[in-house]
Amino acid sequence: MEVAILFAMVVGLMLLGVPIAVSLGLSSILFLLALSDTSLASVAQSFFQAMAGHYTLLAIPFFILASSFMSTGGVARRIIRFSIAIVGHFHGGLAIAGVFACMMFAALSGSSPATVVAIGSIVIAGMRQVGYSKDFAAGVIANAGTLGILIPPSIVMVVYASATDVSVGRMFLAGVIPGLLAGTMLMTTIYVIARLRNLPKGEWLGWGEVVASGMDAIWGLFLIVIILGGIYGGIFTPTEAAAVAAVYAFFIASFVYRDMGPLSRPEGERNLSLLEKPLALITAFFHRDTRDTLFEAGKLTVTLMFIIANALILKHVLTDEQIPQQIAGAMLAAGFGAVMFLVIVNVILLIGGQFMEPSGLIVIVAPLVFPIAIELGIDPIHLGIIMVVNMEIGMITPPVGLNLFVTSGVAGMPMMRVVRAALPFLAVLFVFLIMVTYIPWLSTYLPNSIMGPEIITK
Amino acid sequence: MSHHHSSQTALGRAVNEFEETAIALILGLMTLITFINVVLRYGFNTGLIWGLEMTTFLFAWLVLFGMSYAVKVTAHLGVDAVINLFDLRIRRVLGLIAGALCIFYAFLLFKGAWDYWANFANLPQTDGRWFPLGFEEMKRTSYRSWYEVVDIPMPDWLRWIEPLINEGEAYEKIPRFIPYAMLPIGAGLLLFRFVQATWRVMTGEADSLIASHEAEDAVDDVRSLNAED
Repeated sequence: MEVAILFAMVVGLMLLGVPIAVSLGLSSILFLLALSDTSLASVAQSFFQAMAGHYTLLAIPFFILASSFMSTGGVARRIIRFSIAIVGHFHGGLAIAGVFACMMFAALSGSSPATVVAIGSIVIAGMRQVGYSKDFAAGVIANAGTLGILIPPSIVMVVYASATDVSVGRMFLAGVIPGLLAGTMLMTTIYVIARLRNLPKGEWLGWGEVVASGMDAIWGLFLIVIILGGIYGGIFTPTEAAAVAAVYAFFIASFVYRDMGPLSRPEGERNLSLLEKPLALITAFFHRDTRDTLFEAGKLTVTLMFIIANALILKHVLTDEQIPQQIAGAMLAAGFGAVMFLVIVNVILLIGGQFMEPSGLIVIVAPLVFPIAIELGIDPIHLGIIMVVNMEIGMITPPVGLNLFVTSGVAGMPMMRVVRAALPFLAVLFVFLIMVTYIPWLSTYLPNSIMGPEIITK
Repeated sequence: MSHHHSSQTALGRAVNEFEETAIALILGLMTLITFINVVLRYGFNTGLIWGLEMTTFLFAWLVLFGMSYAVKVTAHLGVDAVINLFDLRIRRVLGLIAGALCIFYAFLLFKGAWDYWANFANLPQTDGRWFPLGFEEMKRTSYRSWYEVVDIPMPDWLRWIEPLINEGEAYEKIPRFIPYAMLPIGAGLLLFRFVQATWRVMTGEADSLIASHEAEDAVDDVRSLNAED
């Protein structure tokens, strides 16, 4: 009963326009003060420990930073050029290239909105120029952009791993097959629509262009090799891999692509080479662009972690009150099996994903459903991927899907038009969700075959 | 590439510059320390023992310090789907209620932060469960300035604090009140910024305290590319 009031308060405050983080924190604090003997001092302590005590979450600022360095326009442009060189000559080629570019960019960044902004801003304009309707372009990008949280590295996966103590490395591996599958399903759908509607196709630019654009993009794409190779080669912890990736991205952006930092020149001029200005090796660290990128990444980290830290306080309340155990007991007593349970998880997350920032929602829901899933014999990694895919769909479901907002901003068209435009592809993602939910193999094959079977401790 | 908060006064600009640079600097330090530790491990078979603890403290500082800045520039995420259904007058009333709740939250967090930190700095906690009703009487166990962190060694340039707070006894590692100090500072700043933000709603300068998604700035940057023509 009290818990129902707690959740009603959280949702009520949110709808009133209180920041998500404060809604979570204030409700939990009031609850703790009124019903337990926890002091405010220990709330402050757990707030501090949310950052200082969670080594896994430390990967988040570094992944955000790596993606910020990589998001300077140049990298997105290079990836798009490479995609067009590979798939641009099919029917609906530019749209397929857009999805392909989103998949690659998702591998550099852990966030869906970032993917939509970086790829969408360029591809939507490009698609309209060659004769696609704006709605089609926006619908494609809004959906493909959600792959950002499914294809590793992914911030949402880091949060899930931290909330449930599973390995980040396993989660990342588990996202690979579903990520490729979802991308392929979207691309196939586009191809079929393109054949039916006879959408424009580009020209095959030859292997020369594939190689040239590939060589140009490879510096950026190598980031994913560092992250995944480093983690699975046992060289780094995921947190270290993220920090190394951030430093690598800084060097690539400043000294190889030179889109920012002391070697960059305004649009149209040739960028300086390091030989012409060797001092840049030192000045790059203090350059205004570097500071700005660090600051932007820091700001995003702050807003995300402020939500997560407050969600952790709420998690404390739930575990103190033994809510997960109660729910588990009730569900098992009602005789729900694994299938029914997963349907319920889907529904909770689809509804919750409408209102909440994905990472914060995971922090709250994961501890609630995790013990039940273990009890029912569901693989924790599989559960994690299901949750991530649910978050994806939440991002493109009205009324408050995050990617819908971002796409409507990027494409300069009203929300409702984006919603309609995204609908056909949303259906594809729904089919994909059902596949991921009921074919555990998709998620568990790679981690189990590379890292050995998951050891489940009850 | 980014929208910088602009302020009218020189002081406002200086404060803003300080806040943004501090956020950038803390994140930069975290990244460098972690990176250097990886290099040391593989290149030189050694490492900074204090590196990890330092990074986690910096992480806490980043968020605790940055959360008030995010209030100032209205970057905290929220749900605006419902409040946008109403007209401006009701929206402003809702904004004021939300502001009051945020101030209340920051106030409780501030009291908690002070209570947690105070004893580590040999200062009294406040009495009262919800509201501070005065300061506690210092007991023998309330003097906890001798608590040290786990790994970070005490630098010599900080030795001057020893006679002031530790009866002249030398610290081996830095005392805990230093990293924890950001709790009351951050929570205090948060309280101040929420009061300011609520004031902005009251005077009609702003009509809410939230951003609807994390990429608002970035979207504004590229909006012109696809604007309806």
